[in-house]
Amino acid sequence: MKAKIKRTLQITMLAAALISAAPAAFGAGEKLAVFTKNNTNPFFQAVRLGADSAAKQMKVGLTQFVPTKPDSIPEQMSQMEDVIVKKPDAIVLVPVDYKAMVPGVEKLNAAGIPLVNIVDRSAGGKFVSYVGADDYVLGMVTARYLIKAMKGKGNVVIMEGVRGSLTSADRVRGFNAAIKEAPGVKLVASQPANFQRLQALQVMENLMQSHPAIDGVLAANDAMALGALEALDGAKRKALAVGINATKEGVDAIKAGRMLASGDYNGFVQGCLGTMIAVRTLRKQPVPKEVLLPAVVVDKTNYGPYDLPVDQRSCPKWEEMVKG
Amino acid sequence: MRVTRGNLLESMREAFARLGGRLAAVILIFVVLGLASDVFLTQNNLLNVLRQAALLFLIASGLTLVILTAGLDLSVGANLGMSACLAASVLKATGSPFLGVLTGVASGLATGLANGLLVTALRIPPFIATYGMLWVLHGLSYYYMAGDTIYGFPPGFREIGSGYLFGLPVPIYLMFVFLAIGWLFLERTTWGQEVYAVGANPVAARLSGVPVRRRLVLVYTVSGGMAGLAALVYLARLNSAEADIGEPLLLPAIAAVLIGGASLFGGVGTLGGTLIGALILTLVLNGMNLLEVNANWQPLVTGAMVLIGVLLDMWTRRRAEEKS
Amino acid sequence: MHHRVHEFARRLAALPGVAYILVLQAIVFGSVAEGFLSPLNLTNIGTQATILLMLALPMTLVILTEGLDISMGAVLTLCSVVLAWVLAHGGGIGLALAASAAMGLAFGVANGTLVSYLGMPPFVATLGTLGMAQGLALAITDGQSIVGISAQIAFMRADVLGIPLVLIFAFVAYFFVHALLYYTRFGTYIFAIGGNREALALAGVHARAWHAGVYVFAGLMVGITGLLLVARTNSGHPTAAFGMEFDAIAAVAVGGTSFERGEGWLFGTLLGVLAVGVMRNGLNVAGVSSSLQVVAIGLLVIAALLIDALRRRA
Repeated sequence: MKAKIKRTLQITMLAAALISAAPAAFGAGEKLAVFTKNNTNPFFQAVRLGADSAAKQMKVGLTQFVPTKPDSIPEQMSQMEDVIVKKPDAIVLVPVDYKAMVPGVEKLNAAGIPLVNIVDRSAGGKFVSYVGADDYVLGMVTARYLIKAMKGKGNVVIMEGVRGSLTSADRVRGFNAAIKEAPGVKLVASQPANFQRLQALQVMENLMQSHPAIDGVLAANDAMALGALEALDGAKRKALAVGINATKEGVDAIKAGRMLASGDYNGFVQGCLGTMIAVRTLRKQPVPKEVLLPAVVVDKTNYGPYDLPVDQRSCPKWEEMVKG
Repeated sequence: MRVTRGNLLESMREAFARLGGRLAAVILIFVVLGLASDVFLTQNNLLNVLRQAALLFLIASGLTLVILTAGLDLSVGANLGMSACLAASVLKATGSPFLGVLTGVASGLATGLANGLLVTALRIPPFIATYGMLWVLHGLSYYYMAGDTIYGFPPGFREIGSGYLFGLPVPIYLMFVFLAIGWLFLERTTWGQEVYAVGANPVAARLSGVPVRRRLVLVYTVSGGMAGLAALVYLARLNSAEADIGEPLLLPAIAAVLIGGASLFGGVGTLGGTLIGALILTLVLNGMNLLEVNANWQPLVTGAMVLIGVLLDMWTRRRAEEKS
Repeated sequence: MHHRVHEFARRLAALPGVAYILVLQAIVFGSVAEGFLSPLNLTNIGTQATILLMLALPMTLVILTEGLDISMGAVLTLCSVVLAWVLAHGGGIGLALAASAAMGLAFGVANGTLVSYLGMPPFVATLGTLGMAQGLALAITDGQSIVGISAQIAFMRADVLGIPLVLIFAFVAYFFVHALLYYTRFGTYIFAIGGNREALALAGVHARAWHAGVYVFAGLMVGITGLLLVARTNSGHPTAAFGMEFDAIAAVAVGGTSFERGEGWLFGTLLGVLAVGVMRNGLNVAGVSSSLQVVAIGLLVIAALLIDALRRRA
């Protein structure tokens, strides 16, 4: 028994050591580091896949840094400090919190590493470029689509994302702007559901109790739209719902007629672009100061390019993206 | 394992008497919410509450057994997440609800067994063993899912979570079934009685011939198995699996068990109590949603309730001791 | 005094599992991860570990009394939010620090009262206060970071004789708690509450007051640590330190302090904090996938305890 335990002990320690010893494989070319917020939101997985795809295309090495505790500010801060030791040639950054990460950004600036900011615009620090979407416009355009489908009349509810996140705040502002344009549409409730499906389901269930007539759901992301739809299905009620992200699952729901439409907030493309800009900067090629992706509403007519699972997509060409 | 004889009706009446105080609390909350919100007492809302409480009970029931032995299982949330992801993969790959269910429960049981062995064979304190397991499971889930969502399960499977039977949601039936099984096990079998003995006084239990280690392994395995079962119900309800769906469930599960009257020192507690604890917790959160109390206050209310519940419990116990 | 030195030497000779793990990590990371052993990186490990150490030190005391305080992460977050709030509304750093310390103290008193005077199991009591701290932090900030205070907090980034100020903070804290535990009556009572409460009562000492005092002291330390947390991010964020108490508890356990019987070793806690910090930093510098990092930390905890369990058998 004792010998068995000893062996188990040795294997455990070996495993721990081996795990510690697996280094990242760097290509012959430049080395990049990509920071994302968490391991749990599929959006950031799309960002990472986009970055990987672009890196492979341009033949550079890439290391991904993700906090082990999702959205952990101190962890991303530590990772930023640790990455300086590794001396990457450039960094693509999604800050966990656009205000709180500024000291870390400044440390990276001080170390002289060129930075590209994607997704959430950082509140400080120097960046070569910013790639993102205008969440306000996206929210407004998506909400307008829903209101048009509702023929300008009816009750809507808003599913907010995470209170305090810039993405959520801007999208909700966009929703509200569109609602104001339509006098026949009434906002009966606006509740946060943390971009999470289960929470949106429970919030929607509760809202349905207090508001017997809900005609439209404006959700700040697809997961919440789908959660709300589950709640509606469970109560055998119907409402038109729109989300944002245009994930594969959202597209499937659009194809099936469950969800009306989804605003295109493409993590994959943002990852691609951010990485491309970083590499081009290193190779002394011209890069734009800012790339704002156009606000597109994905519905039954144009879902084609979004129907492919993220891991099968490839980055669009540089010339196409920068022109449009 | 022997089944002990005795008047079943008698025992049930006793159980009710013991839970008297808590039942009164439930009724009080009902009255208050019924007066405060005009949608609380609707059929839809009450069914919602019961369904949510049933889900919480499923995961808290196994945990109750562990706490009865003066132990703790912090890995139940992560276990649920991991089991859900594995079951989801199998469901998608094979299309067979049976195999999916089998995978989910097996995964839960396996983790539970591992916990039990860590605690008994390696003598690691339950808090640390299950905490380490929590981390390991989270990491494995994140690694396995890589930020993806698995969605779209066969309708037959979905009945477990979203289906109705004679007008009542299916999870409620599951709740009663497991309440009955668990209650019979604890009150009416020698093994169940031994679980109480181990918690109350492990030394005395061992001296009187109780196979302490085997009972401990049993309770941790059951806790894991119930987490696996609850995972399936969540899957069926949400129609999707993500790596972190189990994370927010740990503290409410512990709260439900403690509000239900179980003591962390072991030997005291019942499944009926846990059910009522789950009900109380769900009712209060439902009330907050209906009254549109800012979601920010929810953790504070949950915390306060745990304190009040346990304090009341200790006070009544002391009064009872003083009387006797 | 002399016998205390003996005691230390004896302990050092019978090193706990964590020491072996630290050495192993140093060797593995040093050879595999470029830059791991550089002065910059080693300093990073130190600064990154300070906040955890500031939590793990009082946590050791609490665990020595056979208790637990899982509200620390939430209370730390709340204190940092309060501190940032005061700074953002024109208060000076002195006032801000006082407010943060007072908030920590308040929760410490609450915990101490619940556990010691009302007899509540520590896990439950601190679970309740955790929820309250969490709710308060979210309510004060409505989920947003409090910013605009970089200038006032900049002094924390200074170096004293080439050593970052926060590291000095950590050293001072360690020696203070060390002295408290091993050289004062309070410390003796802490060991007694954990190991032998009856003797304490027989000696006529108000065990309850001292027992509560441990939680009060923990609350105070957490309040002061709010300053370190705000300095790290130049902001107060309502979820910044959630869950950190679990890391602190793991560090204490890995360091060899037992949850029962009141046996423990403060230096072990320091080693435990380092083990966790080195693991995280080393894996980052080596470029290991983040999800595997999580698994590695879980295995670390189990491995350290395994080694100790085997030693106890042998």
